[in-house]
Amino acid sequence: MSRFEIERGHDGPARRGRWVSPVGIIETPFLLGPPNIKDVDAVYIVPDHDILTQVSQPTVLVMPTLLSGRSAGEDILSERSPLVAAPSVVGASAVSSEMVTALIREQLHMAGDHDDPSRVVLRLPPIDDMALLGPLVTEAHNIGVRAALLQFDGMLGRRDLNSVIIRSMLPRNWLTIAVGSIEPCLVPLLSYIGIDGFDVSRADEAARRHERLWQNGTECVTSIHDARFCACTACTMATDSAEGDLESVLRGHNIHIYRTVLSEAVHARSRGLLRWLVESMTHVSPGMATFLRRVDRAVYPYIEEFTPTVGPSYLPLIGPESYHAAAVARFRQRLAERYSPPEDKQIVLLLPCSARKPYSESRSHRRFIETIESALQGARSAVAEVVITSPLGVVPRELERLYPAAQYDIPVTGDWDAEEIRIAAEALRTHLSKFSSDVVVVAHTSGGYADVLRAAQDDIDQSIIYTIQGGSATSDEALESLRETLSDVGGLLGLQVSYEGRSDRRRRRPRNALVGETLRATADFQFGPGAGSLLVPDSARLRGRLYATVTCTVEGQQLCSYVGSTGLLSLTLAGARRISSLGNYWVRFDGETLRGGSLFAVAVTDADPLIRPGDEVIVLNTDGEVVGVGRSEMSGREMCEFDNGRAVSIRHKE
Amino acid sequence: MSDVIRDMDRLTEAVSKMSLEARADSIASRRRRNPEIPAAAWTARTVVQGNEGTAIAIVLSTIGCSHARDENGGCTMCSYLLDGTEAPVTADDLVKQFRTAMMRVSDADGPLSVKLYTSGSFLDPEEVPPQARGEILQLISSDSRVQHVVIESRPEFVIEDAVVEVRQALPDVFVEIGMGLESSNDVIRLLCLNKGFTRAEFISAVETARRHGIGTRAYVLLKPPFLTEQEALTDAVETMQDAAEMGVTTVSVNPVNIQRHTLVSQLWSRGAYRPPWLWTVVEALQRARMFLPVGVRIECDPVAGGTHRGAHNCGDCDGAALDAIRRFSLTQDLRTFDGLDCHCRPRWHHVLEHEGASLVVHY
Repeated sequence: MSRFEIERGHDGPARRGRWVSPVGIIETPFLLGPPNIKDVDAVYIVPDHDILTQVSQPTVLVMPTLLSGRSAGEDILSERSPLVAAPSVVGASAVSSEMVTALIREQLHMAGDHDDPSRVVLRLPPIDDMALLGPLVTEAHNIGVRAALLQFDGMLGRRDLNSVIIRSMLPRNWLTIAVGSIEPCLVPLLSYIGIDGFDVSRADEAARRHERLWQNGTECVTSIHDARFCACTACTMATDSAEGDLESVLRGHNIHIYRTVLSEAVHARSRGLLRWLVESMTHVSPGMATFLRRVDRAVYPYIEEFTPTVGPSYLPLIGPESYHAAAVARFRQRLAERYSPPEDKQIVLLLPCSARKPYSESRSHRRFIETIESALQGARSAVAEVVITSPLGVVPRELERLYPAAQYDIPVTGDWDAEEIRIAAEALRTHLSKFSSDVVVVAHTSGGYADVLRAAQDDIDQSIIYTIQGGSATSDEALESLRETLSDVGGLLGLQVSYEGRSDRRRRRPRNALVGETLRATADFQFGPGAGSLLVPDSARLRGRLYATVTCTVEGQQLCSYVGSTGLLSLTLAGARRISSLGNYWVRFDGETLRGGSLFAVAVTDADPLIRPGDEVIVLNTDGEVVGVGRSEMSGREMCEFDNGRAVSIRHKE
Repeated sequence: MSDVIRDMDRLTEAVSKMSLEARADSIASRRRRNPEIPAAAWTARTVVQGNEGTAIAIVLSTIGCSHARDENGGCTMCSYLLDGTEAPVTADDLVKQFRTAMMRVSDADGPLSVKLYTSGSFLDPEEVPPQARGEILQLISSDSRVQHVVIESRPEFVIEDAVVEVRQALPDVFVEIGMGLESSNDVIRLLCLNKGFTRAEFISAVETARRHGIGTRAYVLLKPPFLTEQEALTDAVETMQDAAEMGVTTVSVNPVNIQRHTLVSQLWSRGAYRPPWLWTVVEALQRARMFLPVGVRIECDPVAGGTHRGAHNCGDCDGAALDAIRRFSLTQDLRTFDGLDCHCRPRWHHVLEHEGASLVVHY
């Protein structure tokens, strides 16, 4: 049996691994090409009387078709190849449902008859009626098939989108190979959506058209001397010799470009920046930009499911493509679904974001905070500080250290586009609806931030006081206006008086209320509503600083700690037991007690489908008892589907 | 039969259904033509039995091909029956059509070659009533200029009685019956083309004709749907060789052109089919000419050649390629193709080598 060993590390559905079959190993991701392209990682052969005799390289994939019949030598070739494509026909993307079914049934027969069905690769044409494929894929999986070929014609139209959608429907542990006309600039995107092998026959086609491929387009070349500068070996060698076979030089160059772009994608993935690379490639052509937007719309739940909840220390979000990137859209969604404000807030202060993250460490926010404290004299805790920003929408002060709020960076001009305003207004509307209608909204906003508020204000129940008429939010004038406004509102609400020493409940509030609020909000955000009050009850003793570490202890027992650098909570076993009743973020394994520092997918019997890579998870044994906590290395569904790989890195165990 | 396919019936049924759907109501909504006028007729200078003469091609307007009319959907690439008419056509009408057409050569010098097409089967008694068939053959035999006659039929109508009738009516004329073999591979013919007859039936028809000294022309289809360019090339060459071995007298290569209301046309409009490259036609003719006995002529005149709906190359070289193909059909001389080249030829090589791997249609 062949198996796909997927390595640790996630950035969207992209992954790295090894296809291990009894007759060979393929490291993924890999470049796949015909025998006439040198330097590919895997060679495919279409059994054909003319070509079979000429093959000298080890073949990785044999691709017979349905109509040619078997040719001499094919069986020997197939026995030696780690992968054998199930035969089909050209044009299957446009046939009737009955015909597609009949063609795939033929493939299932072939797989069923094969000595090792795990080496058979299913060919799935990019048909419109994709629902048809689901049951056939399941049947193939049951037969033992673990790989699929998807077609891309390179037009970036409906058929290519269909292939992406089909990818999202396949079991996660299938090897998927994209064949057809794949431009170099498409490789990062296909890698991002979880394609493992890339057909580079386009390198040959371009060479025969006398074209050099680049990451951002093609160049017609009549003579290598008059062409753009290129430092690749194929081009530099060609420049030295006066005459050469132009076609083979171009082929060499083109494959070099694929190699470069794939390694770029691998590197970006390892840094958590693959999405950024994919977005940057959309500038190659309007077609690429359209395609990514369509992909995001069509398979967002799939991409989101495999996008880690932790990320790089620096996350550039540059254009409109970022607005709906999984990490960004998920933050907005989780905030809307899971955040609930502390009950005693009487003022909501809307603030602009800052370039430096977390916001409170920026110069502008330090001045805002000083102003709040001087205006309210210690009653800052009555204020819910809410940062308006694009494209995250709003970020409450308590969650400013969470990924991606503490890591993102955007180009700032002060002008917001309509989509940014729409997104932020929607987030603001939802956020403010969670506060009592009695609270006063103080809007310390100008420019685009004010536009957001204007777009949302009709749906805001609370009264809004504006502190800035125009100009900068950090000018002395603006800050003075903010101080006066807060002071006035505070006076009206009786906030300063409480500080003077009356025995009302605000008196008892610790001066570092933000610490408790941060831990509670973080707990709700990480583990779902209700987790905050379970993990950080009023009786909790909190020690430490938000920018470093805060431990939370109840009755002498530590429940969790907050790590400022990630903005996340780490659970102790006691903490895990407290929140296990919520029924979220659990992984059940086949056994009584954990051994070692890892839980492997093979041992996992079931897992919460809500789990994303990077999540803090609770490990349950067969009896449903909490026996460990740790960090997930994969998504819940992968833990269930995979037969290998590390599912959870255990932090504490029984 | 293919040693790969497991459930041929299921596949052919699906193709038949698609073909029927593509056909839709196109047959019922055919034009009602004047039944006394042929669908088409044209003349050309040609070589008839070694001497320069005139060829007249006549397309009789009939009710259309029996196979195309029946409920299995007809051939996947052909809607020639749309040249026919929905109006009833009597035996008298057909004879009048023939007479009308022959007026075009009333003043022509002999020898004459008469090509009698029906967009169906001349020997099908339902399509061409026996009375009409008899009278038309009589008219031909009474014209002493005629030295060569081609009629067309599906093989199932090439039976002893029909062949004898033709032979007796035209005792001194070289007669050929053209039949659409298309591919000698049963899977390709039955599955991809929905042609509805087997290789054995075709061979039987060739032999029946030969027993009575009647020649046969095998129409060979270049690039049936669901075949890659490479498979199409291989299949066409193999089919030509097989046809020669079966004993046909002429091989006529027909590159697929996109005809309305066909399965092929649906695939084409959805970007899932490209008519063959003219390079493939040239290559097939060259390879076949080298393998086939000298006595077997190879002809080719690509319908809609050089257009998107017919066999085409890049646009720059289509004219030259078509010229060479037509010259070759007359001369059978392989040197006709010498020097034919274009910047698109390497691309065609790429298509041959790669289309089979991805099964993505290469344009």
